[in-house]
Amino acid sequence: MSTPTVYPTGATVFCPEKCWCGYTIFMGRQTGPVLVDMNGNVLRQWQGLHGFPAKLLPGGHVMGSLGMRSPQHGYQDQTDLVQIDWEGRVVWKFDRYEFIEDPGQESMWMARQHHDYQREGNPVGYYVPGMEPLADGGNTLILAHKNVTNPDISDKPLLDDVIYEVSWEGDILWEWACSDHFGELEFSEAARNAMARNPNMVVGKGKVGDWMHMNAISTLGPNRWHDAGDQRFHPDNIIWDGRQTNIIAVTDKKSGRIVWQIGPDYDRSEALRELGWIIGQHHAHMIPRGLPGEGNILVFDNGGFAGYGSPNPGAAQGHNNALRDFSRVLEFDPITLKIMWRYSYIEAGLIPKMTSHKFYSPLISSAQRLPNGNTLITEGSGGRIFEVTRSGGIVWEYISPYYGMDNMSNHVYRAYRVPYDWVPQLDIPEEREIPILDNSRFRVPGSDWKAEQGVVEVEGTRGYHPSQLCVVEIPAAANNSKSKPKT
Amino acid sequence: MTYQIYTATGCARCKITRRFMQENAVDYEEHDIKAGGQESFSEFYRANRSMIYRDTEGVEFPVFTDGEVIRQGVGAVIAHLVGGNQLAGFVEQSSLHGEWIDGFNISGGDPEFSEGLLRVLDYIKQNSLKIQISTDGRNADLLQSVMDRNLANRVIADIKGPASLYGPLTGVPLDEAELRQTIALAVKFPEYQFFSTVAPLERPDGTVRYLTPDEIGETARMIEAATGSKKHAYKLRAFDPQQAIDDRFRTLEPLPASAMFKYRTAARRYMVLTEIEK
Repeated sequence: MSTPTVYPTGATVFCPEKCWCGYTIFMGRQTGPVLVDMNGNVLRQWQGLHGFPAKLLPGGHVMGSLGMRSPQHGYQDQTDLVQIDWEGRVVWKFDRYEFIEDPGQESMWMARQHHDYQREGNPVGYYVPGMEPLADGGNTLILAHKNVTNPDISDKPLLDDVIYEVSWEGDILWEWACSDHFGELEFSEAARNAMARNPNMVVGKGKVGDWMHMNAISTLGPNRWHDAGDQRFHPDNIIWDGRQTNIIAVTDKKSGRIVWQIGPDYDRSEALRELGWIIGQHHAHMIPRGLPGEGNILVFDNGGFAGYGSPNPGAAQGHNNALRDFSRVLEFDPITLKIMWRYSYIEAGLIPKMTSHKFYSPLISSAQRLPNGNTLITEGSGGRIFEVTRSGGIVWEYISPYYGMDNMSNHVYRAYRVPYDWVPQLDIPEEREIPILDNSRFRVPGSDWKAEQGVVEVEGTRGYHPSQLCVVEIPAAANNSKSKPKT
Repeated sequence: MTYQIYTATGCARCKITRRFMQENAVDYEEHDIKAGGQESFSEFYRANRSMIYRDTEGVEFPVFTDGEVIRQGVGAVIAHLVGGNQLAGFVEQSSLHGEWIDGFNISGGDPEFSEGLLRVLDYIKQNSLKIQISTDGRNADLLQSVMDRNLANRVIADIKGPASLYGPLTGVPLDEAELRQTIALAVKFPEYQFFSTVAPLERPDGTVRYLTPDEIGETARMIEAATGSKKHAYKLRAFDPQQAIDDRFRTLEPLPASAMFKYRTAARRYMVLTEIEK
């Protein structure tokens, strides 16, 4: 991904009349959850708090974690899940999932939370009209880790994904372990062989196999499929995705069985082939009732590297054997698998293979449906958060300026847009348009350009064809785009 | 009647049993099902089917009879040869295979006959099997002897509940001091495992109700107090009414799986590694 050495951060595009305006919360890397307005002003920064992800609750409360287990001994385990008020005080905390004793570290209870959690009242953890997450009570679903052995998967120790539900008072009410359902997941023999050999061993003391790597959990909430009698989509059922296996699935809360699934392979039916390979995906969820597209599945299809199967030139042992260098955001019907909406390099006006990688985040990332039909996309690897219309126009864009203490990366795991009235502590901010600048004329101080000087007309030339790339065919949409992104 | 013993060629435990009988000048007639004894065993099996244990891997050998009783497995057979019915309470059906042997319940027999059990364990130990014993807290002195003589490799401690409830839970009261002694001894064995079943019991008011989360918590607290540590593996097991010996319990509704989490939470206050047995 070619990126200029110098580029603007903060808010870079803002078209107020086309946006669903509100605050945006995201995790400033190695800083804390940051709340910005549409012009990028930082309105709150909960310094030192972790957030995997950080979520805002009505009343200006934020959820996150007080710390992370030492990476020498654990892998992405947050020590706890906490709810913090506007002033930085802990109002709720859960950590009593497992008692952890790591050499040289303080022995302590840990939640071992990672990647996601949901508070009762709202199925997906982002704004839905009429479905506010509870801030003064309720249960919380938590995605966590557990170390297990399962010879059906591999002879190596595994880092399993578990989902547990905890009450406000801290009682665990329900627990589900992914590895218990390995046999239901329809892996091919080639996949099982590759997984047995290398169940995605991760770095850390006592390497463990992060075989599924779940990164999203949410409940389905009320939906038209269940209303029509399809019990697979009971509102309490949990949809989740595993980026390492390319699986998106629904677990029946009552029985624990997997009742709906796509992946790990996307060539087993015509409908799946039409959908195309979903690789290394994040944030798969059902769009809740009350938002445009309700009932459809929305997912950030990263591309990148994932999957288990037969070896190929990019995966010598069949581990991470599905590869792609561009991302897609897909909204699809869970029954027909028909794509109802998409944002990809095509909609972005990019050129396949030449610049398609410019919309690409191999890791992290998310997509939130907004009440006006727009989608807030976190293209996480590059710290880019943007709001896009149904027709693919970018109406807001923000680049995280938080590069962390090591200055290595400004990546953002997941950002959320919240309504102004969720933060009663603030006055509604002014919204000032940020017109899209013309990149061809955007210069940094000290950079001169005098294009008109030195131009000479050459006799006998025959002009330029619209597409002159020798190995790719340019789709019509890309032909109409120039360096200036559309809105 | 001459003792009859049914064996199978290659059965290591049959060999141990045979050696014991020879060393102790016990007269016996052997029927090797792989060397001409199949028909004899089949006849015996048909006549005594209900008394011969068979698991998914088949019949456990050796099978022994003195004409009055039938005993299966090297432990049960040698125990019968050593002490007859006096040791019967200490011996249960074994289930482990390979280098491990189980089926010895320290708490099940009369402590007056402890020496007999110790002799059995000693003989089996000398023949290179690893021994797993079980206890529910009773006969702590016998457990001490087993430990002193290094006669067991693993202890499964089935802690029924708080000592005060042992009477209604098991039919036999148990002194808390003895229960604590057993618990403290268990952790001194090379391997050990604590577990409790969330079982029903008859309450003073005559009703039958399951152990409560607080009572399981109290059990965990007792383990912590007896051992001085919060960090022992402790499993909680759901009660299966269909396996109940007491008819009154067979009609009980089993606890839903979700109910076990409250018990785990209560136990984890004292035993931080408590897990629900799957």
